[in-house]
Amino acid sequence: MEKLTFYALSSPEKLDRIGEYLFQKASRDISRKRNEFVMIAMEAMDQLLVACHAQTLNLFVESYLRIVQKLLESSEPSLQILATQSFVRFSNIEEDTPSYHRRYDFFVSKFSSMCHNNNPNLVTMEMIRMAGIKGIQGVIRKTVSDDLVENIWEPVHMDKIVPSLLFNMHTMKSKTDIVVESGISEEVNDKTDSFSLAESCLRELIGRASFGHVKSVIRPVLKHLDAHHMWVPNVFATQCFRILMFSIQSQYSYAVVETLMTHLDENSNASPKIRTSIADVLSKIIAIAANESVGPTVLEIINSLLTNLRTSVTRRPPSNIGLSESDGENEYREALIHALGEFAAHLPDYQKIEIMMFIMSKVPQFKSSNNPNDLHVQRMCLKSLLMVSTKYSSVQMNATFPQSFLDLLLKTLTASEDEIRFIVLRILHTLLDRHNNASKLSKATVNISKSDINLEKCSRSDTIFIRKHAQDIYVSIYESLEMTNNTVDNIEAVYTTLALICIELLSEETVLDFIRLILSIQELAITNAVLSTQQKFQLHGLVISIILLVAIVTDLHPLKDYVEKVIEQRKLLNATHLLPELSVHNEVKSASLLPAGVLIEEPELTEALKASGIDITTETGPVLAHRRSWVENTNMSMKGSFTDLSNLDLDSVNSTPAMQRRFSPNEDLSFEAMKRSLLDNPAVRVEQNTRQTQLCDMFRNTSFQDLVAISTASKDEESLHSKITDVFNKVDVSNKLSAVETSQQPKPIYETLFPELFAF
Amino acid sequence: MEDYKFLFKVVLVGNAGVGKTCLVRRFTQGMFPPGQGATIGVDFMIKTIEIDNEKVKLQIWDTAGQERFRSITQSYYRSAHALILIYDITSQPTFDCLNDWLREIDEYANNRVLRVLVGNKIDKEDREIPSHVGQDFAQRHDMRYLETSAKQADNVEKLFVQIASELMEQAKSKGISSDSPQSLPFNTRTSKSINDYCCNR
Ligand SMILES: Nc1nc2c(ncn2[C@@H]2O[C@H](COP(=O)(O)OP(=O)(O)OP(=O)(O)O)[C@@H](O)[C@H]2O)c(=O)[nH]1
Ligand SMILES: [Mg+2]
Repeated sequence: MEKLTFYALSSPEKLDRIGEYLFQKASRDISRKRNEFVMIAMEAMDQLLVACHAQTLNLFVESYLRIVQKLLESSEPSLQILATQSFVRFSNIEEDTPSYHRRYDFFVSKFSSMCHNNNPNLVTMEMIRMAGIKGIQGVIRKTVSDDLVENIWEPVHMDKIVPSLLFNMHTMKSKTDIVVESGISEEVNDKTDSFSLAESCLRELIGRASFGHVKSVIRPVLKHLDAHHMWVPNVFATQCFRILMFSIQSQYSYAVVETLMTHLDENSNASPKIRTSIADVLSKIIAIAANESVGPTVLEIINSLLTNLRTSVTRRPPSNIGLSESDGENEYREALIHALGEFAAHLPDYQKIEIMMFIMSKVPQFKSSNNPNDLHVQRMCLKSLLMVSTKYSSVQMNATFPQSFLDLLLKTLTASEDEIRFIVLRILHTLLDRHNNASKLSKATVNISKSDINLEKCSRSDTIFIRKHAQDIYVSIYESLEMTNNTVDNIEAVYTTLALICIELLSEETVLDFIRLILSIQELAITNAVLSTQQKFQLHGLVISIILLVAIVTDLHPLKDYVEKVIEQRKLLNATHLLPELSVHNEVKSASLLPAGVLIEEPELTEALKASGIDITTETGPVLAHRRSWVENTNMSMKGSFTDLSNLDLDSVNSTPAMQRRFSPNEDLSFEAMKRSLLDNPAVRVEQNTRQTQLCDMFRNTSFQDLVAISTASKDEESLHSKITDVFNKVDVSNKLSAVETSQQPKPIYETLFPELFAF
Repeated sequence: MEDYKFLFKVVLVGNAGVGKTCLVRRFTQGMFPPGQGATIGVDFMIKTIEIDNEKVKLQIWDTAGQERFRSITQSYYRSAHALILIYDITSQPTFDCLNDWLREIDEYANNRVLRVLVGNKIDKEDREIPSHVGQDFAQRHDMRYLETSAKQADNVEKLFVQIASELMEQAKSKGISSDSPQSLPFNTRTSKSINDYCCNR
């Protein structure tokens, strides 16, 4: 042998002839089944390959590969294994001359076939399969680095290579048992088992894939998982995709995600179980891609997830929706939303905002819809948004809430569906809650102290933010409280929202507007005719809880003293229905619904605020002069003018509804009447309804100018105001919008022309 | 010198259990394997035969009929020179699936591939598909037709020899002859359609 090597080295031009000779000899030996001689020939070839210099090898290699093929064609396992071992050695030799004419078709086909070997002798089977995997690895090494050789990424190769590797990866279990049982020696287990071998080969393959090749690898993976029904359960699928994601060049990882999502699209007719499983795999790998995703890719991924959600929602006839979602479609949606959240969680915060805005822009906007699908889509989008928002941590509120995003959120806050509003409130919670207070403030309570709350002084930019947006935010919250379908959960959620605003955003400068909102809510609880009694009680509970929190958070001690006095009074008079917890009190234990001193009264409040050092004088008029000011730009703004329609006797600018009974005991809408209406006396309701309709008609049919004329001619009138409020609340929201909005004047004109209208 | 003049790739397809592996074993090893297990993935066999004093090497790829291996088996269709589509004459379902198989072949195989329909297991008594039905089907789809028994070695040799002869004819008519330029199994890249049929020298 040494002689041969020496000879070959000294006269490289003879190498080709040597190769040809060895091939002929080996061929004969194979056909005569003289395996020992075949091995010797192979050994000689190997040594020559290693010893000789690359340039001279080219033709010799042809002969060499023909021997290898010859051996592989043999049905003799030992020869196949011999050939593979040699080939693997060859594959590690770096050739520096291009070998563009070489083809590996047969090798790929044969090695793949070996990967599936089913020899009845399990030891032999294992060895041949391992040889197959190693052979594939060799072909990959030989081809990927050299563009001129076979394009290994062609589907014709990948469709063989990938399934062969996967097949060995998932048959691992049974085989390890076999290996153990049959006591296969180091020969097989020397380095590893066929499972790990196949896995590392797959890793190497995907690791070498350039962007254009990623799909070539992933496609067969998906096909294989489909064909072997490996989505449900998805343990193996998940494992595969994790391997792929961790081994791929990271800048391409999102291509894997995209391909998997395309697969999800293609499977839109598969059973929900399969889709859920695919989405689940997606959610388990998507985070890995998030780190590498940029710009349009991110939105594409999000968009694709949303589209799938939409498809899922519209998949079924609307009549079925809500009836039985037990068919797994719901799980599928949850899995998609989960994937969305996983993805978003790993994006930088600025992208999360983009995504939230993007999702928000996809939320169908409507006040009410007859199409249950629309509603469903809306719900799904918002749930997705909620999911993303939980992954986002706010720093500055103006960054968290860009105007257009805030606008859409607030608009959705007054949607007619209570569930939709509830989700929006929860989104607000997660976005507002920078200091982890939300969980402590999930329910309205008056048992709270400053030490319970994580507080940080409100920054300048946050103050500017709330100044700028207080009106919009408060109006929307107020309007959402007017909804008759609010559950106690909704009201609790409003409490949490207000509490978080209070903690995160309020300072002495901005507290006044907030208090006005609270008082308006109290007023709503007293005067509204359409809310249920329970809802009104809940509003009172909300009001007292939140105003206490304001006093605590902003350190307004006199205010706190006053609020505590009111709370004491409520307890004293056993008016527990006006106190939290909102969900428990449902019966009136006190002598009357609103016994004296249980409400937050404006004069006392004003005093308390003054004593707390809040500068009220800078505002025009008394504290509450503008308590409606934040509704001016909305459909509610006309209430102010109607307030003044009649009853000139009533001149108390500071009167609150609770004090009315002193002034107008005989009025229909006196406190007594209101009380009756609170108790839902049908007779009163009918009577009221008639009057309401009249007023409503008048309102609708009278021009703005006329209304202004009427209102300027009149003076403050509390009871009528409440009446009008009732009317308004009766009218469908959308009606109000269309009827009123067109005749709206911008706020400044309003304020300057009729300042007194707002003092009621 | 290579020990053959032509190299053809033959792929066997058909439902699980129709006898693909048995046919190949009968042809390549001259035996009917008892208790033949289902094929996993793809099996490979080689056999060199002599036709008109010329050596023809047949690479035979025996695919698994089981559905779950469909994606890998399909990847072998493409390079096939001949496809043998097999059904079991005692099993109507295996015949009913032929249309599906043809669709797959159309999708994945070379459109010039030689297609042969084989009804196997004619040694059995309980025939469900009459001979003429198979014959008709083959005719309608422009295929050769043959009935075989791997067990009794009926028509097995004939099947492969016919295929080899026909492929040889094709190859020759395309101008490939023994004195065409030297080509090795590894350098047939240039013109697949012609050179693939033949491995010269
Ligand atoms: N009587 C009879 N039985 C046969 C014949 N050919 C095959 N069989 C039997 O049919 C069964 C299946 O044969 P295989 O050759 O394994 O079938 P296959 O098409 O390779 O099946 P897969 O590998 O699963 O696709 C075995 O039990 C054979 O004994 C035949 O010609 N006559
Ligand atoms: Mg078989």
